[in-house]
Amino acid sequence: MLARVIGAGVAGLCAAYALARKGVDVEIVERESAPGLGCSRFAGGMIAPWCELESAEPLVATLGEEALDFWSRELGVATVAGSLVVAPTRERAELADFARRTRNFESLDAKAIAALEPDLAGRFDAALFFRQEAHLDPRAALIALTERLAQTPNVTLHFQQDAAGRATIPDWIIDCRGFAARDALPGLRGVKGEMLILRSDEISLARPVRMLHPRRPVYVVPRGEGLFMVGATMIENEERARVTARSVVELVNSAFAVHPAFAEAEIVETGSDLRPAFADNLPRLLKRGRTLYINGLYRHGFLLAPALARRAAEVVVNDGHFPEVMDADSDQRAAAGCERDDVATAAGRTGV
Amino acid sequence: MNDPVRLYDGALSSRLLLGTARYPSPAILAEAIRASGCEIVTVSLRREAGGARAGEAFWSLIRDVGARVLPNTAGCRTAKEAIATAQMAREVFATDWIKLEVIGEEDTLQPDVFGLVEAARALADEGFKVFPYTTDDLVVAEKLLDAGCRVLMPWAAPIGSGRGVNDAFALRALRAHFPDTPLVVDAGLGAPSHAALVMEMGYDAVLLNTAVSRAGDPVLMARAFALAIEAGRAGFRAQPMTPRDMAEPSTPLIGRPFDRLA
Amino acid sequence: MSATTLQLLLDELGYDEKTVGTALNQEFVRARDRAETRLREGDAVEIVTPRQGG
Repeated sequence: MLARVIGAGVAGLCAAYALARKGVDVEIVERESAPGLGCSRFAGGMIAPWCELESAEPLVATLGEEALDFWSRELGVATVAGSLVVAPTRERAELADFARRTRNFESLDAKAIAALEPDLAGRFDAALFFRQEAHLDPRAALIALTERLAQTPNVTLHFQQDAAGRATIPDWIIDCRGFAARDALPGLRGVKGEMLILRSDEISLARPVRMLHPRRPVYVVPRGEGLFMVGATMIENEERARVTARSVVELVNSAFAVHPAFAEAEIVETGSDLRPAFADNLPRLLKRGRTLYINGLYRHGFLLAPALARRAAEVVVNDGHFPEVMDADSDQRAAAGCERDDVATAAGRTGV
Repeated sequence: MNDPVRLYDGALSSRLLLGTARYPSPAILAEAIRASGCEIVTVSLRREAGGARAGEAFWSLIRDVGARVLPNTAGCRTAKEAIATAQMAREVFATDWIKLEVIGEEDTLQPDVFGLVEAARALADEGFKVFPYTTDDLVVAEKLLDAGCRVLMPWAAPIGSGRGVNDAFALRALRAHFPDTPLVVDAGLGAPSHAALVMEMGYDAVLLNTAVSRAGDPVLMARAFALAIEAGRAGFRAQPMTPRDMAEPSTPLIGRPFDRLA
Repeated sequence: MSATTLQLLLDELGYDEKTVGTALNQEFVRARDRAETRLREGDAVEIVTPRQGG
């Protein structure tokens, strides 16, 4: 069986990997000259399934848990050092809300924060620590994954090629084009994100730090060698590839609030792209004949791609069906909503 | 129970106005609007490069929901900015309704009431139906009415604070002084009970955003607020009893067994 | 930007004129006046689109 994967971003490469592991012959077709040049390139690379519960449906955490093992053990590209969530002193309510909506964390006081991240000593008096979460460098991770695929006998990679120009007719097309698949998926929208990469030798962080703020939340992810990724804006705007001065000011201001030394950091790079999302911000596997679309990963590309890839391979090889990502909106929401209702009922019970 | 509220030319059966910002997803925003039963949603204009597709997905969602839109002048710091924003909003959204905000102070997002009155007058003169976001100050309210406003929207507490009613006395005084002006509490509510309280005071409607959008389950919270507002309104209309200092038995005493008529 | 009028600027930036509002130096410019509104060096152009709001 031959599957053609279109798009060599995180979704496409993970899909190719999962299919190849099941013995499917895979050809990856990418219009760019190298893997991961789409929105994967600008990802935060936080494998943080429980932190994401703050604003995402429970399904995102369930699927996202599969990514921890994949990136850290199977590929060995992620560092499991946890995530640290802080808030400015006057925004402590944000921390309380975050704690209420997430799980698998420990509450830290100022002393424990200092022990964990010495450079943040004295800056925050409370934090949440999600010990089991991980982070990775998206670019290095996709290069490693591509190398692994290149060494796999039943996988071929074709860069700077248009899928329409391929001569062979595959048994399956796995469409992983992200926002570019909008031509086939009318419900898809783009949510603009902007990020910065800063270099500073004055600060050292061992793990991603998220700073909560009602208007300008930010995360800082250490990338090694003095580099830090600072992200990311969330703008309902389908304009691509342009970082506004306002966003740079906001991101730098927020990074400054995490640590003042960021004001002196060098701006190494600014980047921007569109996160592909459906109206409910939940991912989909959409089967149309012999084409399988993997899309709608929104801000959770690295978090969700491994789980979706495994399911896609099951669909292709064993005609599997996964209602949580394959059913129409309402069913999916109902399934994802069960847990929410339970929480509401429980809160009602204890709240009297 | 037919009990419409009239805000300018709109007769509304729902007394909840809902903001559209900061929901977890567009789908949840649309569901929250439906669950609340609200007939008016607030929207905004934002300076944003982006060419043809800027803001389009959001705008088509709002049109699909079918609620009437109340554009705001959020983020404006001077009367001049607010006036130009209102004029742009009238053209873009094809409505002469405007929620007028002139922000005077960054920390509390407190209205600049001087700029507010100035902008309200200019806009009312141009035929706008102005919904001014104001404090609970009686004198300012008077001047807004004098400027041509026919609806007032006092805060309960600073925007997004979720504190509930900061000064119940001031809100009651405002209600008592303007018995015939539609009064909408805008900003500062956090829980459905806060909304029930202001409705029991006789306020005509409530405008919410953060309390719903940032709740753990925005759809359920939208419904909860709708119920609270309905309950509070019914409670107001039913004329609550006046509190007493002493216990009053609720069961008639006459004929009680073992009673000794002394 | 080389546009000499507000309308040409919108065209150059690729806006759909149905869903934008415009102002020049903090004064509102009606859609129908954009073609006649000349731009000069140092003008502050405001182009706004529908957004979520509270």
